[in-house]
Amino acid sequence: MGITQILFWILSVMALFSALMVITSKNPMHSVIWLIIVFFAISGHYLLLNAQFLAIVNIIVYAGAIMVLFLYVLMLMDLKKETEPAKNRWLKVAGAMAGGSLLLVLVAALRKVDIENGIAETRTGDIGLIENLGTALFTEYVVPFEISSILFLSAMVGAVVIGKKE
Amino acid sequence: MNALIISAIMGVVMMFSGVLLRQRSAVLAVALSGLFVSIVLNIMEMYGFHLFKVNLNGMMHFDRFSLFFNTVAMGCTFIFLLLSAKEMEKVGLNYADYFALIFFILSGIILSSSFSSLLILFLGIEIISIPLYILTGSDKKNLKSNEASLKYFLLGAFSTGLMLMGITLIYGHSGSFAIDLVTTPETKPGILLIAGLLLLMFSMAFKVSAAPFHFWTPDVYDGAPTVFTSFMATIVKAAVFIAFIRLFYHAFGDIHETWKYLVAVITALTLFIGNITAVFQQSVKRMLAYSSIAQAGFMLMAILALNSVASEGILLYTTAYCLSTIGLFAILVKMKDYTFEGFNGFAKHQPLLAATAVIFLLSLAGIPLTAGFLAKFYMINAVITRGGFLWLVIFAVLMAAVSVYYYFRVIQAMYFKDGDAQLIEVSPAFKWAISLVAALVILLGVYPQLLFSWYYF
Repeated sequence: MGITQILFWILSVMALFSALMVITSKNPMHSVIWLIIVFFAISGHYLLLNAQFLAIVNIIVYAGAIMVLFLYVLMLMDLKKETEPAKNRWLKVAGAMAGGSLLLVLVAALRKVDIENGIAETRTGDIGLIENLGTALFTEYVVPFEISSILFLSAMVGAVVIGKKE
Repeated sequence: MNALIISAIMGVVMMFSGVLLRQRSAVLAVALSGLFVSIVLNIMEMYGFHLFKVNLNGMMHFDRFSLFFNTVAMGCTFIFLLLSAKEMEKVGLNYADYFALIFFILSGIILSSSFSSLLILFLGIEIISIPLYILTGSDKKNLKSNEASLKYFLLGAFSTGLMLMGITLIYGHSGSFAIDLVTTPETKPGILLIAGLLLLMFSMAFKVSAAPFHFWTPDVYDGAPTVFTSFMATIVKAAVFIAFIRLFYHAFGDIHETWKYLVAVITALTLFIGNITAVFQQSVKRMLAYSSIAQAGFMLMAILALNSVASEGILLYTTAYCLSTIGLFAILVKMKDYTFEGFNGFAKHQPLLAATAVIFLLSLAGIPLTAGFLAKFYMINAVITRGGFLWLVIFAVLMAAVSVYYYFRVIQAMYFKDGDAQLIEVSPAFKWAISLVAALVILLGVYPQLLFSWYYF
């Protein structure tokens, strides 16, 4: 068993365990923190598959931005451990149906996967490397890349105009 | 490309001028001279002068049509600033920043009139939209302005999402962002192409406020500070139309058969809703908001026709529409009362301004000898040349007749009703400028070849 496989097993156990903890822990704050660990574990998987950019973006966008937003919302709502609102019966039915549909889609999609021969291609393929992405951004797509700076600048000017005290 | 670089730089310059220059007239002078420079450089680009050598990788294509429209759009912005810059001071304290945002919008306009890649289209539309959300909400103390800004932002973000989804699906179909590669005459429209086309059509229809995606328009145009309504209802709308026609001409022109009926229905619906609802308005500002929907209906006919008459016609239409609406808004912004009653007896107090307002209203209604008549004529001619949509032509003429009713209500109030129309002070320079705009409207109506001979040579 090579180092890649060991890492894969560690990351998988980590991801599955944290995912279970997200839905079983009573305190919503703990749930959010477990979810962040899930994202880190999945980013580790992306790294194993040579997808650096995806790994970084996953951490920056999900763990960095979205989860911080979640945390803020939870803090502002001030959810106590024991004050979990009683769930509506219809809500439970709806949740079960939504989850069941997702399961159905996943089973249907993965039914014909050839597990024996479909070995994950670790350390091969260079499409997800940051180097290639940078080359594309600064050669072929340099014009839209530079133009997007106007977009961000105008958004920043707007934020100042709206936010400044008068 | 010249004008794009200059206007982006001017946006930054305007931000600093707010800090460095104490006097507001100096800020205006900087803005006007910067705009003038970019107009001159843009006209020079039409004759082959390039300030910088930029390798665009086929992302943008500055052809005669887009350069000409850029000149028109920047010229109209110049007129808009001459007429209404005084009123921008009253909106809020960030005088220079408003100019910065307007310059950013101008660079967005240049992008969306000359894109040849869907990426640039997206960037252009977003660079237009985001500063507009801010300008809509710039009157921070006014609840209506806040509400309009939030509404515009949420709905605008939603329609941008639709556009991105459409671009993604088109990319899935053709494997490229280039608009020329989306379809060929042999293309069999598949599910990806059709879904992408519909999403792009809906989001563009939202941005030009075509029915049934027009619901944001009256509230946003009514709630925004009137100076900025004047800008967004004219120049910005015209630019998005140019983007719309460019997108559909290059990307979907080969599969015209599949979408022409849908566009025809949207056109008829826009004409109907815009004109009929405008009849019932009590405020002139709100009436102009609905009239801008109605005018969008006429401009949509160019997208339906998609031939050389249509591309000439849309240039004339945008010029005529921008000039008359900017002029009318410039007068409206000086009024104390925006209702129809507020215009009672206007002609007695301000005979010159009333006369120019009549010219603008006649042009919007499409009365002969004004630019608006020929613009409508070109649109209808384009659809007839394309053939097959006689019902739409007849319907459009009927709706133009309806529009005469609500435009003439303003004229009736100004000339035939007694009242005491309150006006804030106007300078002689303003009167000269607005007479010049009215003269331009008449000139284009009598001698439209002026525009076209410049376009072709």
